[in-house]
Amino acid sequence: MRMRASTRSYSSRAALTGVAATALLLGACGIGGGDDDESTDTTDAGDSEDAELSGEITFQTWNLQGGYEDYFNGLVADFEEQHPDTTINWIDQPPEGYQDKLSADAAAGTLPDVIDIGPEAAYTLASADMLLDLSQADPEAEQQYLPKSWEAMTFAGLGGGTYGYPWYLNTGPSFFNTELFDECGLDSSNLPTTFDELFDQAATMAEECPNTPMIGRMPAIETFGMYGVELMNDDGTEFTFNNPAGVELVQKYKDLYEAGGLTEDSLNEQQTGELEGFKSGHLGWLPGSSYTLQDLKETAPDVYENVAMGPLIANAAPNMYIQSIAVNAQSDNEDLAIEFARFVTNVDNQFAFSQQAAIFPSADGALDDPFFTEADDTDESRVRVEAAQQVEQAEVYWPPAFSSQSADYMREQIALAIQGDKSPQEALDESVAYANERLGSE
Amino acid sequence: MSAAHGGPVSGFGAPEVRTEPGHRAVGSPMAGAPKGSRNTRKSSLRTHQRWYVPWLFLAFGLTITITFILFPFFNTLGLAFTDATLLRDGQFTGLENFRRMFDDPRFTTALLNSTLYVICVVPFMVVLPLILAALVAGKGRLLGFFRTSYYLPVVMSVVIIGLIWTNLLDSRGLVNSLLQWIGAIDSPIPFLTDRWLLLFSAMMVTVWSGLGYYMVIYLAALANIDQSLYDAASVDGAGTVRTFLSVTMPGVRSTMMLIAMFSSIAAFRVFGEVYVLTGGTGGVGGRNVTMTMLIQSEGTGLQAETGYAGAISLAMFVIMGALLLAQLWYQRREEDA
Repeated sequence: MRMRASTRSYSSRAALTGVAATALLLGACGIGGGDDDESTDTTDAGDSEDAELSGEITFQTWNLQGGYEDYFNGLVADFEEQHPDTTINWIDQPPEGYQDKLSADAAAGTLPDVIDIGPEAAYTLASADMLLDLSQADPEAEQQYLPKSWEAMTFAGLGGGTYGYPWYLNTGPSFFNTELFDECGLDSSNLPTTFDELFDQAATMAEECPNTPMIGRMPAIETFGMYGVELMNDDGTEFTFNNPAGVELVQKYKDLYEAGGLTEDSLNEQQTGELEGFKSGHLGWLPGSSYTLQDLKETAPDVYENVAMGPLIANAAPNMYIQSIAVNAQSDNEDLAIEFARFVTNVDNQFAFSQQAAIFPSADGALDDPFFTEADDTDESRVRVEAAQQVEQAEVYWPPAFSSQSADYMREQIALAIQGDKSPQEALDESVAYANERLGSE
Repeated sequence: MSAAHGGPVSGFGAPEVRTEPGHRAVGSPMAGAPKGSRNTRKSSLRTHQRWYVPWLFLAFGLTITITFILFPFFNTLGLAFTDATLLRDGQFTGLENFRRMFDDPRFTTALLNSTLYVICVVPFMVVLPLILAALVAGKGRLLGFFRTSYYLPVVMSVVIIGLIWTNLLDSRGLVNSLLQWIGAIDSPIPFLTDRWLLLFSAMMVTVWSGLGYYMVIYLAALANIDQSLYDAASVDGAGTVRTFLSVTMPGVRSTMMLIAMFSSIAAFRVFGEVYVLTGGTGGVGGRNVTMTMLIQSEGTGLQAETGYAGAISLAMFVIMGALLLAQLWYQRREEDA
């Protein structure tokens, strides 16, 4: 969701199509990044040694046509040039209702051959044997990706199979509205870096400025992860976030709410509402992505002038999100689908894509490029470099078996606990029971 | 049709039946029968052999009905007794889904919200459009302007209506800002976050957007009231209110019952208004979820539990059916009286 929120607003980047095409060509030629040797070594997928590939497949992306049409047309053309007997039909789905589209296709048995998909959806489809287990079908591919990204698409709850080639990653800094900090009795040069500091400063802000809270929404599952809560057991067979650390986090939110540091709106807010609250200057803290800075610059220039950045607030490793490219297990042309999926996610094409979108490649070695290690004097490059460094430490916290329904249910239960209708322990117990029930039914 | 023209309906590919005078099939049971009887039998035979002709006329409508109404209905009926998910065929689980439903606090909440919606919205939907219709009935540009104005929300998308009202009722929306500006309130009224305020806000939006539709139905009913009744009431010295109560309301009684029925069903099925006002979340803690929102939540998406959603749908069907039957019974009793 967060990834999509980042990329959805990128239609303005269509203006950079010339740059896109150039970058693609450079990338395809292996000179897109600074690590030419590594790129060449690892980019066997999609190269033209396999001349036997032929036929036609469908490649589906999610809301990428608007901003990146030239990139994907170039990608497809490049692959078809390397494999003259092949045809790749690229289709793009609109941002809304992507899961519904996947649901309808899955139920009808008409899933595309190659699919742009997140871990949660991949887990559900994989549990119904609809996605190819790449650890079996293409085991050597693992070496081409960052180990943590490969692990993120490897589902312990499904016997340890890997159900998607890692594609792009995203993480980002925390954003703070320094104007509110100064107005509300806080020191904008002493930004919070841990949850304890965040809640302390949020309480101060609540006391001084009752209508401008620090925190804009309920904790999500990744917030629990960053707080240091164990989310699942090692086997991936049971959720465990109703442990004392989880209860402690909910209790902190409850205390803050009682101190006036959370609005009624925030109990029902989703990610977009939190972002809008920060853009309108009514929120002190926003855990952002690498794209947020550009978004603020373009759509909330007044707030942008007073924004300070810091690392994601975490007691443990920071969070990141991952998107993958999966292969339909029922594809009529499995070899071609695998080859194309690896081509899309190879180091050069991932690097080329990351030069256009504010995302980070999951291909091994791509983050060593100076593009991700050397900042110039722009805020954007500083954010990019810092976020790229953060990727090195970050974890994909969202368990793939944690469905969107479970996430909604957890938000509802926490809201009830914060309002005092039930205890934090009861709220988390019920959330865990609900999620475990779903786990068993998939 | 074919009988009237004395020929076969060859256009449908029906086998011709010989009808020449004097022709008679050997061994026919009609052999030796009077001529008139023989003609009748021939006609009967012809009709009998074209048994499919009515079905051909019905085919299109039947196909639509079976595909889009009967099949989904019976499919839902079957699903309700299984543990099916979107991606997995279910096993028969008997009444397990219904047991789960009554243990599910979200179902209880949804049932309560939808029932309250019917109780609160229907009286307004029955009475207010009638008053409006009585006010704007007649000729004149001004009346035409008001008729159009009241009808305008009907043609607007429920999403647009929801967004308009969300912006009005938000904690930083126009209503709260205005009330704070004039000093009527110190802190925003939680129209969209308090459980009951949100529900009543959604009801208000439903009434506001539905008035025009039912007003038009009442306008048609009002046109059918005998003008002489109004003349007689006038001669008797009845005022506006007395005329409304003694002439207009009895004159549209059956329409009122019809509207009560329509609006009850619509109110019990409410979705759009609550969905948009809660941002699709069902309100804080999910306490504003309605029956249809619960079905949508359980029955869509990759993790859809179609069996459980089917059971909730079936429960909703039974409740609405009972509501409808109760109203029909009441209406019949009124007519008999």
